[in-house]
Amino acid sequence: MSTAALLALLVVIGLVTFVYRYAMIGLFANRSLPGWLHALCRHIAPASFAALTAGELFIHGGEVVLALAAPKPWAALVAALVAWRTGNVLATIGAGMAALYVFKWLF
Amino acid sequence: MHPKLVEFLAGCRDEAPLQLGVVPFGMLYGIGAIQAGMPAWLAQLASAVVFAGAAQLVIVQMLAVGAGALPIGLTSGLLNLRHMLYSMSIAEHVRHLPRRWRLLLAYLLTDEAYAVAILRYQVTPPPDDRPDLRHWYFLGCGFTLWLTWQLSTAAGLLFGASVPAGWDIDFAVPLTFIALLAMLMKERAGQAAALVAALAALAFAALPYKLGLVVAIVLGLVAGVWASRRREVAR
Repeated sequence: MSTAALLALLVVIGLVTFVYRYAMIGLFANRSLPGWLHALCRHIAPASFAALTAGELFIHGGEVVLALAAPKPWAALVAALVAWRTGNVLATIGAGMAALYVFKWLF
Repeated sequence: MHPKLVEFLAGCRDEAPLQLGVVPFGMLYGIGAIQAGMPAWLAQLASAVVFAGAAQLVIVQMLAVGAGALPIGLTSGLLNLRHMLYSMSIAEHVRHLPRRWRLLLAYLLTDEAYAVAILRYQVTPPPDDRPDLRHWYFLGCGFTLWLTWQLSTAAGLLFGASVPAGWDIDFAVPLTFIALLAMLMKERAGQAAALVAALAALAFAALPYKLGLVVAIVLGLVAGVWASRRREVAR
């Protein structure tokens, strides 16, 4: 993507985000949101993060690659275990990066 | 000290502890943006224009894998929808304010500022004998977070430019998603959404411009809503 296109995209995303934020305070100040939107919002973050992580780990050049000797999926597994045990973001990043360096050296 | 300033500073003070969690995210975003090939000025500008941490990390990750404008726009559009919920929740407390105040507070309405400000609104009743100045408290929360976000982005950009690509430091972005997922997947419905989205991302990997990611997120949403419905029915 060119810098100009990226700038335009970011401005659009910023505007849309601002409209969300201002929506109920200023635009439709006396309305409430439908229940299904509440239900939907709870799932957006887990679905987005999972799709992106799976893509980063297993998709290369538009193809699914499941290789046993790839360091990133194994490092991600270590990170997932640390995240699950500690619930700590910094510990997860630290363990995942350390594991990545070890697996890159091993494979 | 003027009562407005007292309220503003109280907001800054109560928002301060949360900055410990914000700084690493801001730095990570800056580092990721540099490694994804974003010009530093544009990455810094995005922190002011978009001003939403999770969406900015997602944008950087999608740029890194070569996603097109449409999937990036759709994904951030979905991810930021939750701000409408905050907007609705806080509306009754700021509805009486002049428009310039509402515009300013809307711009500053992020996860972390909302969390602290709504507590003040819900826990501290409006004073009877003097004007309600709690919007100054909200402004203090929002301003503190805004400043931290801009400064930590700048720090990440400076740091990211000096780290060699061979260190794979951009891998910290998906690692962050893994850490957040572990927290979000404590609920059954979150598990369903994440699992279906991950599998669908692989199933639709061949779609152009990484549109498969958007399809995967939507299918994950459907699975999550379906799973929580089923739970409610079972109860």
